[in-house]
Amino acid sequence: MTEQTAGRTAAAPRTLAEELRARGDDALAALLRARPDLLNPVPSDLAQLAGRISTRASSLRALERLDRFTLQTAEALAAAPDGCDRRTLRALLTGTPGVPPPPGADPVDTAAVDAALPGALALLRDRALLWGPDTSLHLVRTVRELLAPTAARPGPTGLGPTLAEATAGMSPGRLQELLADAGLPATHDPVSAVAALTDLLTDRERADALVGGAPEAARAVLDRLAWGPPTGTVPDAGRPVRAEEARSPVEWLLARGLLLPAGPRTVVLPREAALHLRAGRSHRTVEAAPPGVGPTRVHEPQGVDAAAAGQAFTAVRTAEELLDLWSLTPPPVLRAGGLGVRDLRRAAAALDVPEATAAFWIELCFGAGLLASDGEADEVWAPTPAYDTWLQQPVARRWALLARTWLAATRVPGLVGTRDAKGRALVALGPDLDRTLAPGTRRAVLEQLAALAPGTAAGADALLPALRWHRPLRGGPATGEGRDLRDDLTARTLAEAELLGVTGRGALASPGRALLAGADPVPLLEPLLPRPLDHVILQPDLTAIAPGPLLTPLSQELALAADVESKGGATVYRFTPDSVRRALDAGRTAADLHDFLARHSRTPVPQPLSYLVDDVARRHGRLRVGAASAYLRCDDDSLLAEILADRRSERLRLRRLAPTVLAAQAGPEAVLERLRAMGYAPAAESPDGDIVVVRPDARRTPPRSAPAPVPDGPPAPDDVLLDAAVRAVRAGDRASTAARRAVVAGPAAAADGIRLPRTAAAETLAALQTAVLLGERVWIGYVNAEGSAGQYVVAPVKVEGGRVTAYDHARDELRTFSLHRITGVADLDEAGLDEAGGGGA
Amino acid sequence: MNDGPLIVQSDKTLLLEVEHPKADDCRRAIAPFAELERAPEHVHTYRVTPLGLWNARAAGHDAEQVVDALVTYSRYPVPHALLVDVAETMARYGRLQLQKHPSHGLVLSTTDRPVLEEVLRSKKVAPLVGVRVDPDTVAVHPSERGQIKQVLLKLGWPAEDLAGYVDGEAHPIALEQDGWHLRPYQRQAVEGFWHGGSGVVVLPCGAGKTLVGAAAMAEAKATTLILVTNTVSARQWKHELVRRTTLTEDEIGEYSGARKEIRPVTIATYQVMTTRRKGVYPHLEVFDSRDWGLIVYDEVHLLPAPIFRFTADLQARRRLGLTATLVREDGREGDVFSLIGPKRFDAPWKEIEAQGYIAPADCCEVRVTLTESERLAYATAEPDERYRFCATTATKRRVVEALVEQHRGDQTLVIGQYIDQLDELGEALGAPVIKGETTNLQREKLFDAFREGEISVLVVSKVANFSIDLPEAAVAIQVSGTFGSRQEEAQRLGRVLRPKADGRAAHFYSVVARDTVDQDFAAHRQRFLAEQGYAYRITDADDVLRGAGDDPVR
Repeated sequence: MTEQTAGRTAAAPRTLAEELRARGDDALAALLRARPDLLNPVPSDLAQLAGRISTRASSLRALERLDRFTLQTAEALAAAPDGCDRRTLRALLTGTPGVPPPPGADPVDTAAVDAALPGALALLRDRALLWGPDTSLHLVRTVRELLAPTAARPGPTGLGPTLAEATAGMSPGRLQELLADAGLPATHDPVSAVAALTDLLTDRERADALVGGAPEAARAVLDRLAWGPPTGTVPDAGRPVRAEEARSPVEWLLARGLLLPAGPRTVVLPREAALHLRAGRSHRTVEAAPPGVGPTRVHEPQGVDAAAAGQAFTAVRTAEELLDLWSLTPPPVLRAGGLGVRDLRRAAAALDVPEATAAFWIELCFGAGLLASDGEADEVWAPTPAYDTWLQQPVARRWALLARTWLAATRVPGLVGTRDAKGRALVALGPDLDRTLAPGTRRAVLEQLAALAPGTAAGADALLPALRWHRPLRGGPATGEGRDLRDDLTARTLAEAELLGVTGRGALASPGRALLAGADPVPLLEPLLPRPLDHVILQPDLTAIAPGPLLTPLSQELALAADVESKGGATVYRFTPDSVRRALDAGRTAADLHDFLARHSRTPVPQPLSYLVDDVARRHGRLRVGAASAYLRCDDDSLLAEILADRRSERLRLRRLAPTVLAAQAGPEAVLERLRAMGYAPAAESPDGDIVVVRPDARRTPPRSAPAPVPDGPPAPDDVLLDAAVRAVRAGDRASTAARRAVVAGPAAAADGIRLPRTAAAETLAALQTAVLLGERVWIGYVNAEGSAGQYVVAPVKVEGGRVTAYDHARDELRTFSLHRITGVADLDEAGLDEAGGGGA
Repeated sequence: MNDGPLIVQSDKTLLLEVEHPKADDCRRAIAPFAELERAPEHVHTYRVTPLGLWNARAAGHDAEQVVDALVTYSRYPVPHALLVDVAETMARYGRLQLQKHPSHGLVLSTTDRPVLEEVLRSKKVAPLVGVRVDPDTVAVHPSERGQIKQVLLKLGWPAEDLAGYVDGEAHPIALEQDGWHLRPYQRQAVEGFWHGGSGVVVLPCGAGKTLVGAAAMAEAKATTLILVTNTVSARQWKHELVRRTTLTEDEIGEYSGARKEIRPVTIATYQVMTTRRKGVYPHLEVFDSRDWGLIVYDEVHLLPAPIFRFTADLQARRRLGLTATLVREDGREGDVFSLIGPKRFDAPWKEIEAQGYIAPADCCEVRVTLTESERLAYATAEPDERYRFCATTATKRRVVEALVEQHRGDQTLVIGQYIDQLDELGEALGAPVIKGETTNLQREKLFDAFREGEISVLVVSKVANFSIDLPEAAVAIQVSGTFGSRQEEAQRLGRVLRPKADGRAAHFYSVVARDTVDQDFAAHRQRFLAEQGYAYRITDADDVLRGAGDDPVR
């Protein structure tokens, strides 16, 4: 690094590429990490990298990722002449020293600006938006074009074009008239005329005199335009007006060049004039430091963790409940993709949550790869095989998957139910729910919370000012009166984090904190979760109460034999004849149930419950319905007589076959249903006479992978890639600059513009072998089979059999060169590279 | 995770583990705002409803206390959303207040102007209010005081009634506590009521609600109108008042189908009040015939709709509601809250039983099996005849005989719905039958005889459902009822809950036909009592019949 620094101080770089060349590898890697779009594809050398940095798309992307003060610094630079020094920049931000602050401007905290300015400049340099030393600051050309104020686009500064820009295309005669009316001597060409006018406006004393001489009405016009927008509409802007014939205040100003025509009906206040009126300030409000987080509430961190853990548990259970529901009754996929509104409503009712919350859980399961469409002819949404794996994991691990999915998700379930630009309703699991802004905003919100003391909760209103300061240009499209997408996403992030248990009582909980930091939240969450129980409390009113989460097999068995009545910290189950019958239908016997209840009850099994089980079991299966031939048989012939006599069974068209057998014309399903409706408890029978165990199959999709989030640009490069990229760029650069050095430093350029190193064959061989031994890179000249000459920077790996195997840094690959075609070898003087690039002139 | 006895559910029910050492503290903390819904043996269920939260606000509790109680006793973290919801719901009470205004009489005022604007925009409120006194106050016609409270409750902005009460015509009344005393819970109930102004006291059957009424009258020392369900109950009230207070027979009037007396203390029946002739209620004058200082509503859960309407006009008078359960089959609990007043006191049945003020009861459902021919007939019966058919099955008679035999020597009531069945049973048991056509004179004579022990078995129809006082009925056998009515079941059980002289348990039998709608209805009826902690055993009729043969009872 010291070499590079030495190089830079020795002489200021003349281009961005030169400055980049002077940067260390770490700095280049940092640049590529911050602007990963530059890496696609890996640029071949620094000139190409510089070119890519200057593209409009990449510049915009980089600007969007600046905080407000850095952006203001860049804006101020764009309003200043290119290559201005740091003092000029500071004056733009804090106002011309010694001049009282203008009316309408907020006071500037000079100390804060001084404290923040070096950081802002460093950031702009790191991001390669700015180059050059403090004495000559250059914005990258595209950035300057993007930020420089013009008449049509004054930007956040509210400044207009410079005098020179505004007078471009004005006739030389008219310029001389302006000079005369401004009280300046005539000049011999338009360029010097503009310079004279500019000098007048930038000279504080003379400009004061000129403005001071303005009539009050003209002064009012100036004041109105001073802080922007700098343009005004007048009937005939282009008409040349002389001072003596000026009638209106606007004409007075137009005559003296304080206003200039910007179109047939538009006048503009030139930038120099505006800056004079503003006491030199580029921004009305300079926000050097991020605003603090608004009002907060402080809770006990333990309470926060407990609340979050409770919610985390609920989250896992809700997902499970949803997917279990859809295992049995998978909802259809709409033709346009997504989930029907009615199915969403049904899911919401089943989960006992509002529809918006149901949409959140559904999207979360989808995002986590637990739910997918099965791709069959009648496409349905169903759990994936990954769900079964997920189910086997402990609760904390299950939660971690959901939370990680949420953190990175680009799909925004909050949009469900709204309409897109074409007026189509957006549905859950449907297209167009991705918002690239979402993950960044989510992370930013959580990071704001993480920066607060543990247990501190803050609402969206409290967080938003700071969020806006950190990324002023990342607000996303407007979504309503004075709201943008980020405002909505912030509020949603907080609500969703609470639902998911990332936060508790509005404050970031410790598992959430670990998640955000990229650590494993499981060990932190585990001890906070209630321990699953292996018992329930049975009550004489036929309820069973699980005073906490149950072990999975127990809860599944219980859900079979009893209906869930209420959920929450505990689960209340109610035994009904129907629920007991369901268990019997599923193949349990009365003895099984008695045993199950006795084993898992902490209290004696109440007599009414035992009686209920026996009573249902007594009746269960007394009636048997065959599927193959649709018959009814029963040992009790009076029962059959009873059914036969019952008018309600008419529809089944029953006929008595034998004292104990009835045949039905209706299908077995209809028969079963009818008999149950009549209050009997028939059992379906297989052709062998066994009772058919009925339990619906759980639905699964074929294996499905989780949808990848749609990121807002290329993925963040990892260190390996960065390292390789920097090496490649550097090598490519070496190849080109080394070549140039040779050309420049050599006695004369070859006729074809390339001068190849020339050494004797023995020398060449020796030099290459040395390079192999020392692992050095060398510069070789090479003539290929077609006879065209080239030069390469290579790291020779081995020399044998008349061939040299070497690593070509420019192409990032191993190549083989024929020894006899190598024209010569030259050392790469590493220290001399910069001289070659920077000091060669 | 703390080790509290309370579990908060997402449907806003609270589960309280009663065996937990902190269960009593917790119960006391949550009772003001949560309604006890079920009280079976191990885990009690309370429900948090807006009405309950407003009741708590009306009784002077604030959201902070409620949240604190939940957080302190909850075993698992309480969902934040629920706490927020509690605070928001409670904050709705009292934003609107009914107050007396020196020049405008009754006014509705607010501490939160947008709320007033919101309710005034409602079509239902508009006709009830008068001029806008100032931005925060609007005049209300005094006769609409009840109406507006009802409407505001429905809009979700319950008004706090601070307009006070008229004293009414003074009349000296005092309790004569010789040889008896108000029980502690009765005294608490009266105090709760009196400090709250108006409201409802919830006590189990047999826990002495009449005495709470009498004590309230003694506090008011003013003329009192008592509304009761029927004539027998009216006589009972009169009897009790004469016995327990300084009031004499002459001071107490009965306003019923039979007699139309208006005295300083008047007892009127719901039936006569709601009698309608040619579209008008001719007996409404009772409400205005005197300047009543207190109005007592017995059995509030049965209050008929017209009485609600009249009550709306009586908001300036103190109102006391008495009931065993706030469960109304018609779901008009909100009207009770807005028109009579919030719940001022309640105590779970089991708690009072534990204190020895009501007898412990053994509830038993006896299942009889229909004979084959009966089953056939049942299957072919018309749907609207089904219940009657299975409820009156002849098989039940033998079971009832066996049960009566088993409890020979105990005062036994046989209760049913269908007169034919009762007549048959009366004949078989050799016991008198009290039904609708029995004259009041005859009824009282029979009741007296039963009370004296001259008759040990009495067969009664649903006329005896309410308010008859049979001190020593130790056994009740119900053979049929009004379909699935839960409060009928509660009332019938109440017949046997008066504490027995020897502290014995009472017995309550339901005879039910197996595999019929009778069984379904019975299950529904029992739900309330099961939730009050009365566990039903279920036995088969065969066991009872066998027991009668070889096991002479006790």
